[in-house]
Amino acid sequence: MVTYIVRRLVTAVLILFGASFVVYQLTALSGDPLEDLRASNAPNRDQLIQARTELLDLNTPAPLRYFGWLAGAAKCIVPFAATCDLGSSIQGEAVTTSLSRAMGNTITLVATATVLAIIIGISLGIITALRQYSGLDYGVTFMSFLFFSLPIFWLAVLLKEFGAIGFNNFLDDPDIPPSTIAVVAIASGLIWALFASKSWKRKGIAFVLGAVVAAVLLFLLDLVGWFANPGLGPVVILVTGVGIAFGIVLLTAGLRNRKALYSSLIMVALGLVAYYVVNPVLNAATIWMIIILAVITVLVGLGVGYAMGGYDRSQSMRAAALTGLLMGFLIVVDRFMVTWPSYVSNPRVRGRPIATVGAETPGLEGTFWINGRDTFTHLLLPTLALLLASLASYSRYSRASMLEIMNMDYIRTARAKGLSERTVVMRHAFRNALIPLATLVAFDIGALIGGAIITEQVFAFSGMGQLFVQALQRTDPDPIMGFFLVAGILALVFNLVADIAYSVLDPRVRVKA
Amino acid sequence: MRFGRTSKAVGVAAVAALALSACAANTGTETTEEGTEGEATGGNIRVVEVNAFSSFNSSTSEGNVDINGKIAYATHSGFVYINNDLEVVKNEDFGTMEVLSEDPLSVKYTVNEGVTWSDGEPVDGGDLLLAWAIESGYFNDSTTDDAGEVVSGATYFDYAGDTSGLGLTELPEIGEDGRSITLNYSEPFADYEVAFGLMSEGGIDTPAHVLAEKGGLADEDALIELINTTPAGDPESPVERPEIQALADFWNTGFDTKSLPTDPSLFLSNGPFIASAITPDQSMTLTRNEDYDWGPIPKVDEITVRYIGEAPAQVQALQNGEVDIIAPQASADTVEQLEGLEGVTVEQGNQLSYDHLDLNFSGVFEDENVREAFMKTVPRQQLVDTIVKKINPDAAPLDSQLFLTDQEPYEETAANNGSDAYAEVDIEGAKELLAGATPEVRIMYNRDNPNRLNSYTLIAESAAQAGFKIVDGGLGSSDWGAALGNGTYDATIFGWINSGVGVSGVPQIFKTANGSNFNGFSSPEADALMDELIVTTDPEEQDRIQIEIDKLIWDSKYGLPLFQVPGVDAYSDNVTGIEYMPNQTGVWWNFWDWQVVQ
Repeated sequence: MVTYIVRRLVTAVLILFGASFVVYQLTALSGDPLEDLRASNAPNRDQLIQARTELLDLNTPAPLRYFGWLAGAAKCIVPFAATCDLGSSIQGEAVTTSLSRAMGNTITLVATATVLAIIIGISLGIITALRQYSGLDYGVTFMSFLFFSLPIFWLAVLLKEFGAIGFNNFLDDPDIPPSTIAVVAIASGLIWALFASKSWKRKGIAFVLGAVVAAVLLFLLDLVGWFANPGLGPVVILVTGVGIAFGIVLLTAGLRNRKALYSSLIMVALGLVAYYVVNPVLNAATIWMIIILAVITVLVGLGVGYAMGGYDRSQSMRAAALTGLLMGFLIVVDRFMVTWPSYVSNPRVRGRPIATVGAETPGLEGTFWINGRDTFTHLLLPTLALLLASLASYSRYSRASMLEIMNMDYIRTARAKGLSERTVVMRHAFRNALIPLATLVAFDIGALIGGAIITEQVFAFSGMGQLFVQALQRTDPDPIMGFFLVAGILALVFNLVADIAYSVLDPRVRVKA
Repeated sequence: MRFGRTSKAVGVAAVAALALSACAANTGTETTEEGTEGEATGGNIRVVEVNAFSSFNSSTSEGNVDINGKIAYATHSGFVYINNDLEVVKNEDFGTMEVLSEDPLSVKYTVNEGVTWSDGEPVDGGDLLLAWAIESGYFNDSTTDDAGEVVSGATYFDYAGDTSGLGLTELPEIGEDGRSITLNYSEPFADYEVAFGLMSEGGIDTPAHVLAEKGGLADEDALIELINTTPAGDPESPVERPEIQALADFWNTGFDTKSLPTDPSLFLSNGPFIASAITPDQSMTLTRNEDYDWGPIPKVDEITVRYIGEAPAQVQALQNGEVDIIAPQASADTVEQLEGLEGVTVEQGNQLSYDHLDLNFSGVFEDENVREAFMKTVPRQQLVDTIVKKINPDAAPLDSQLFLTDQEPYEETAANNGSDAYAEVDIEGAKELLAGATPEVRIMYNRDNPNRLNSYTLIAESAAQAGFKIVDGGLGSSDWGAALGNGTYDATIFGWINSGVGVSGVPQIFKTANGSNFNGFSSPEADALMDELIVTTDPEEQDRIQIEIDKLIWDSKYGLPLFQVPGVDAYSDNVTGIEYMPNQTGVWWNFWDWQVVQ
């Protein structure tokens, strides 16, 4: 194993050398850094050309210039010396500075989208596999391929048009016309019907139910002016919390495990109490406070589950901790919602909360909640665009792998020995279906830092993608090499991680030493 | 039914919770007042720029990017600025520019009393002297070989502008009031009005007391002393000037930053605004400089600059009310989108850059008749109709080699220079001149630029009708610039930028064997006029000479100016006072008139 890893790492270094040389040459060949000056009629044209030639060392041929760059970059390997020199951009900013900034921005942009895409994509894949060839299966397949094949810049423009401009116009006068209610009701009915099982009667009931619920909900929300003053309130939190408790117990322990159910319900009750107790403290919240509260919640959940005792304590503990965490999430969401009116009316936001560009409202100074809101309204659309575009690969992969597993002999055996369907799906099938996805996930996390070039461009988000594109436009080699180093190293490392993870997860696969 | 102990506890908890929620109905989440932070009372205007800010010194060749220049324009003052009629306007509230004598030319600059940097230090003679030392290239003594490598000496301040104008002046003395310097030119300099303290080039932008300290000197007096005592640069006998080098090193890179420096002396203002916050690559906030009263007073308290590269993203941000003013790269799609918006005013106009067709005075075009025949075939009106009209409906073919339509003498020169002969395509006339010959013409252009490609296609089509054999010599964007003037083509289509004010750009293009004279145009008569032009300080006289030169160029069948590149800006109804400006300052030129509609 160790020899294998070492061998892979050595190859990786060699690949990096070769690739960086090629990338450097390609960058140098990609354009003429003097283009704008050559056709200039400025009286000091020659002087300007000379200054830029000197700055970029253009009189040295590109293959030799590469080694100059390499000499600086090699210093980065020296540990703890802090002599890392990746050069600087034409405008004089050190590449290390711009890289770290761009990486941070990209991670905030892409991380949420990737995590959500993995969770939602895999869930959809599993569900569609369990209901193969149903209306739901076809519906999800159709939608995921639709979004997969839409060009992301167009998707982004549509999202901006309807999600930002349209929604903000709506907020100016939050009044939902009956026609919209009807359309939403029908759409919701259709979705409910898709999820309902096969018989037409049940589908019909689901359709009516979905339509009515959506219509009533919209009507009520409209009536009480919820869109201008959103919030969940204790009752909604309680009802949702109980729902969550049942759902989680259903998935993790099965409803027959009463101890798990009770521990989850206790967590819901505790959550509701916490809603009142913690709220005053939350006014001065920071991100660390939220994290600490989350950790406390998990510990309390584990404690409650442990105290319930019984035959399989760990199931109760898990269910209680998860329920507690989600209750905490609800409380935080509620808190964010309550800040909505003061965020919208902020003079910097000017009643147009959903943004189409950038990562923040310039000059907005507010509490944790206001700033969090601000990040949310700015990241919402790009995250949605990325999420929709990447759902397809996850849902298709997980559907295929789930289908394969469900046809395995050991699944039949499991069923034959009388295990409940929940146990068969969650314990025996689901876990094994995830193994092939490990490769995909590892790759995607590696690619994450590489940035979403087009999305960043369309949403004027200054991450790695922008760094790369702008440097390329100026034929500025140093930032491109910095980008390449980060993206290349991550690709190689995560490739390795994927291989190792695979062999750890699946004992049938052996890493050849 | 029996209840376990646990379920009882759960029940009690649930009942308690519900009871609590009932009596406290929704008061659990009480918000503090958090809506008023960061409020701007006099109004805030949000303007979009394409590029991201990168330096507080826009005068170096690295920092000389449009956005840095605009920030410098808003945060510094100077003796003159340029308005959107391309006229030079004096800012007498800042200081006076006084011509002491016409010949020999001597100009005295005096900063008014009470003009200060934002740290309270007065703007004085030391600042003027430093600006002069930088912009005149006084200390430079470098010589370069053909490849552009420096052989000996050094270029100290990496100044992006042209040093030749102030290079004519001798070391100035600071006046007795300590707030003035007098520049004595060795020969009259045509552009003296815009040679020093021009606001669109940053005005007086380097605080001498800061540079002195950062460059290792004791104080501003030491800096003045150093400038006065260090020998002038002489490329023949270069000497080392370590102290000047230290100053120059700091000046060249020390003000480059993408974020707000912790040291406020690095972004001192002597203008209407001062930088107050920067998010790198995202946005920048300028707030009012409280002390400022020496020049046009801005009406808004704060300007937020946001960087959005893509034109469609700019349009949607404007539509969504996230920004107030945009100036995207002009394209037909953008204009169409903008015109479809409600509550938005769109302004279209010309830019200072213009596309032109140049014919080489050698090869197949050595014969004047062939050049004339080719010029007769160029469908200039059609080019304007297909390329420019969609963006700027008022556009017309450009009828002068020296003036732009926005400049005052344009009408006169266009009527006089013989350009009307090429207003319409004249295939018959061209055939007559060619007398049956079918010359082969290779046209070079940047084929990655759609406008140039369109121009080429239309010109080639039309010329072919008259019997020209057109060879497509288009090159990719990485190669065409290097091919200029290398003799591999007969005609070329590309763009030039007219400075709008001043005349020193004229000889650069049209004088025999000069740097940007790529087609070998040479006219002794025009050369003599240009020699006269650059030492003529009277604007009327300058115009007269330029009109003469323009006619000589047209008479020589030089080639044709095609059209001015169109520009567009747009602003929401929340703001007023924005006016279109053709030069590189763009909408910023009158930012003091911007106003938020209350």
